[in-house]
Amino acid sequence: MRRIYSLFFFLFIGAVLLFNACKKDPIEPLPAADTTQNPVPTPTPNPLPTPVPTGVSVDLTTVPYTKLSEYRFFTGALKDQIPADNVFPYKPASSLFTDYALKKRFVWLPSGTKATYLADNKILDLPVGAALIKTFYYDNTEPSNTTRIIETRIMIRKSTGWIFAEYVWNNEQTDATLQMNGSYTPVAWSQNGTSTSVNYRIPSETECLTCHKSNSNPIPIGIQPQNLNNDYPFASGNANQLQYWISKGILENNLPSTIVSTIDYHDESQPLKTRLRSYLDINCAHCHRENSHCDYRPLRLAFSETLLSANMGLCVTPDENIDPMLIQIIVPGNIAKSVMHFRLNSIDENTRMPLLGRSVVDEVGVQLLRDYILSIDDCND
Amino acid sequence: MKKILLSIGLSVLVTAWTFGQQTCATAQIITVNTYGTPSINGTEVPPIVCSTGGTGATAANWYKYTPTQDFAVTITTDFISNGNIDNRVQIYSGSCGALICVAGDDDSGTNALCVASFNATAGTDYFIVFDNRWSSSGFMFQLIEDTIIVPNDSIVSWSPVSTSSITGSSLGVVDMNGDFLDDIVSVTSTNIQIHQQNSTGSFTPVNYTTSAAQFTPSWSLAVGDYNADGYNDLLYGGGSGVTFMESDGLGTGYTQVSGSQYVFSQRSNFVDINNDGHLDAFVCHDVDPNVYYLNDGTGTLTFNQGGLGDHPDGGNYGSIWVDYNNDRLPDLFIAKCRGGAGTAKINELHKNNGNGTFTNVSVQSNLADPIQTWSSAWNDFDNDGWMDVVVGISSSADGMHKFMHNNGDGTFSNITAGSGLETYLGMSTEYASYDFNNDGFADVFTPGTILYNNGNNTFTAHTIPMTAGAVGDLNNDGFLDMQNGTTTYFNNGNLNSWLTVTLQGTTSNLNGIGARVEIYGAWGKQIRDVRAGVGFRYMGTLNAHFGIGAATLIDSLRVLWPSGNKDVICNPNKNSVIHIIENSAPVATAIFNANSTNVDEFESVNFTDASTPCPTAWNWSINPTTGWNFSNGTTSTSQNPTITFDIPGTYEVSLVASNSNGNSINQSTETIVVNSNVGIATNNKVNISIHPNPVEDLVYIGLNQLKIKSIKIASVLGAQVDADLDKSSNTIDVTHLNAGTYFLSVTTENDDVIITRFIKK
Repeated sequence: MRRIYSLFFFLFIGAVLLFNACKKDPIEPLPAADTTQNPVPTPTPNPLPTPVPTGVSVDLTTVPYTKLSEYRFFTGALKDQIPADNVFPYKPASSLFTDYALKKRFVWLPSGTKATYLADNKILDLPVGAALIKTFYYDNTEPSNTTRIIETRIMIRKSTGWIFAEYVWNNEQTDATLQMNGSYTPVAWSQNGTSTSVNYRIPSETECLTCHKSNSNPIPIGIQPQNLNNDYPFASGNANQLQYWISKGILENNLPSTIVSTIDYHDESQPLKTRLRSYLDINCAHCHRENSHCDYRPLRLAFSETLLSANMGLCVTPDENIDPMLIQIIVPGNIAKSVMHFRLNSIDENTRMPLLGRSVVDEVGVQLLRDYILSIDDCND
Repeated sequence: MKKILLSIGLSVLVTAWTFGQQTCATAQIITVNTYGTPSINGTEVPPIVCSTGGTGATAANWYKYTPTQDFAVTITTDFISNGNIDNRVQIYSGSCGALICVAGDDDSGTNALCVASFNATAGTDYFIVFDNRWSSSGFMFQLIEDTIIVPNDSIVSWSPVSTSSITGSSLGVVDMNGDFLDDIVSVTSTNIQIHQQNSTGSFTPVNYTTSAAQFTPSWSLAVGDYNADGYNDLLYGGGSGVTFMESDGLGTGYTQVSGSQYVFSQRSNFVDINNDGHLDAFVCHDVDPNVYYLNDGTGTLTFNQGGLGDHPDGGNYGSIWVDYNNDRLPDLFIAKCRGGAGTAKINELHKNNGNGTFTNVSVQSNLADPIQTWSSAWNDFDNDGWMDVVVGISSSADGMHKFMHNNGDGTFSNITAGSGLETYLGMSTEYASYDFNNDGFADVFTPGTILYNNGNNTFTAHTIPMTAGAVGDLNNDGFLDMQNGTTTYFNNGNLNSWLTVTLQGTTSNLNGIGARVEIYGAWGKQIRDVRAGVGFRYMGTLNAHFGIGAATLIDSLRVLWPSGNKDVICNPNKNSVIHIIENSAPVATAIFNANSTNVDEFESVNFTDASTPCPTAWNWSINPTTGWNFSNGTTSTSQNPTITFDIPGTYEVSLVASNSNGNSINQSTETIVVNSNVGIATNNKVNISIHPNPVEDLVYIGLNQLKIKSIKIASVLGAQVDADLDKSSNTIDVTHLNAGTYFLSVTTENDDVIITRFIKK
């Protein structure tokens, strides 16, 4: 416990190697393509040829695998994240801010199975054996302006429920290894031309569960119909994601005629409150809804609940008096006295919100909140 | 922000309009009335901010008020017509250029409106100043005069004093330089700043640069001397791990020791978990089983997880180490919190088995409660010798505050109903118990409120200006103060008396953490546990503090150390700080004096106890066991007995004294020689004999032919008894006497007096 300096040294050396690796081997931007699987050539003659396995592998008796590559979710170089046959990309309308990390999301279902619609605001009911894959990466990392993949998080539905599998990418960006205990890795990159750095947190299994749960049961978050009822630029062209899933045979064709849907909070053509509600849903609702980590607080921030402004904290006295100045969660027209603004704008571990997943302020999100607060006059918005 | 201007319609309510008031010197005179103030544009910015909200105002409107008699004055802008305007008021006495804060308020009204109250003295000028910290809009305000209500003197008031040299998070009020005066500890990731309390009441800031803390104390700070070098070390409870800042043994710096393990820290503590005399550390884990660090005795800590609250989902927020069952071992209570339907929110009590293992007794103790709580306040609220608990809520989602009385048998009873807590609706993550008004009953502190203990298992809530912060005595006046950021709130005290006890362990850990301190007096008994880490986030004093109300004498002070050692101090002075080194006053020493060691038979000896310290029980024994009696109403357990020796001989008188620590190890012995004077006449020798002795009915007196003139018979207590002498046979019939020893006084025909004794069977 006292001998930690060797660990620091190791991390330092690791970081140096990492940067060097990036420097020698720049990664092209990841295409969001849905391509058919290519046959994998056998590279060298083999005196005892064995069949090269193909197709996605999710053996529920042995997952999580030690290496990301073992699932064969991708074809070609793993770092290119080219989805294999029947692995489909998706993206929710608004996404969670995680220190500016970029994300690629994919879904895979066992052959012949389908997801089921339950409600606009409930995660699609995915069949046993299904997998959700989410890769976190940065473009333009320093010093050589390269792409660096940090981690790939997988959730797999077993018969007993969802499990987490966390894969951390190697410095060479050739594969990722199962690591469930969490770690830090420094990342420096150019964010819209500004040099930015964070000590990036790769979550432990319990950190995954903190957000991804209902009561104590692990669940996905993003795959709610309300978040997928929008167009995505598939390789075959733009298409509504839910309709695309139906066309690919992975979603039952029983959707209601209308789905109350979230929007992309960046979309300035949309009403301010709808943008904020979409932002709060994907960034906050996983802890501020029934049966969640913090459901003992009065906030209910799911998109389906924030039509009621009190659920969003408008004119609501906070349970916790952080500062006598912060009198309500949202004070109409008063940014300085609003707890939500203070917490979204804080980077202190004990006051920031969300609690996990970020170490810097999401300036876009905070500005959206500011705009909303200044737009309202009273508690009846 | 919506701009609400005073409308023409509104002006009907306003009885007086004011004009622009540029400066203190040009302040407009106001009295009891409702006023409208125009946009805030006065050029003189208030020099001191008395309210919350900090600096940043650029303009202000100034008013002056001089009451004709003493009043309780309220300045309010809390009118519906003022809408969302965010205004703020500062109230000063003194004179322009030398203003003194009297009151101030930012947001006590509806939304962000302000309401300030103060007691005004007739003829004094008060400056009432609205600044534009948040808004320059004009608004309506009212000055109200009320009769002053004399405050209950059982509560205390507070004086804020700002220390501008404080940097970083002020998380601790605890001694750091070994003088047992509480210091202010503030921390940044690269600096430990200690404002050392001087004996004169001032502070000397000292900065210690550290390596960048891998984990900062964003969730909690604990302080204790785990490397036992005489300088306290620090534990930073961070969101992803734990960092220790270990003192260098010289008081010149700290070395960082950070664990590699992921820990979502909440409350942290220093405590000797395995009772080996070395201070260990404990950290609540939010999302996993709790972790602890065992000290090998050289200051090297080893990470452990398991055995001290192992719910797989965590939910651990407020750990507190308290001896709930009076077995002199610190037990662990965990205030827990968790959303959803799981069991991670159920509070836990772990009984210390004394061998490094603990038994979860949450259910049988009746403390397994789903209340959403981040900390709990433990003390003996009714001074019955057992630690009780107020479990305070952070959220009302799973039940309200609970006041649980320790039954002394390992169980607790819910006595919330009627205690005043059932109507207290405040919520917080911070609850801690101290006696703030020194009335001898421990109170509960939660940000913005002290729940004063009325002494009968009820509490009364009083608003205070302080938010969450560390508690200690920052001016060594025996009244506990609080630190909020850069502001120290000094307790103005009252007439009650107090005692502060500082500890230095030898066999036990150096801080004496885990020790039980007791004081005895007219109140009976008060107890404290020495704890490192109470409430949720902060680190308060390690000194044991007691109030004793109007009492003038403290009979004794006792320390029960974690090692099992005990010390007793007799009659400590009230209003003093007593320093106790472990095992310096362990047990009673039995000592006594006799007023004579050589007496005649039937004479008495007075024995006077001189045992120390604080003897509370005495056990006298005399060898041989017959031939003497306690007299003057004394017994073998009297402090100062009188013994009458009836039979000549040599007696060994011994005393075993006891105090609250138990019996003295050694008994004290004195030899008493008793001489015979039986048969000795008052003027010359006359031989006398009696038989039979002991006697049943007739006793015969042989007197060498001399005739007997008269007799007297008395009991050993000196009471005369009737008995007839048959002069013809020189016999006395004693058939009617009770069994016992009697003196017989015989007067001869020559008026010689001879005393002897006989025993009636």
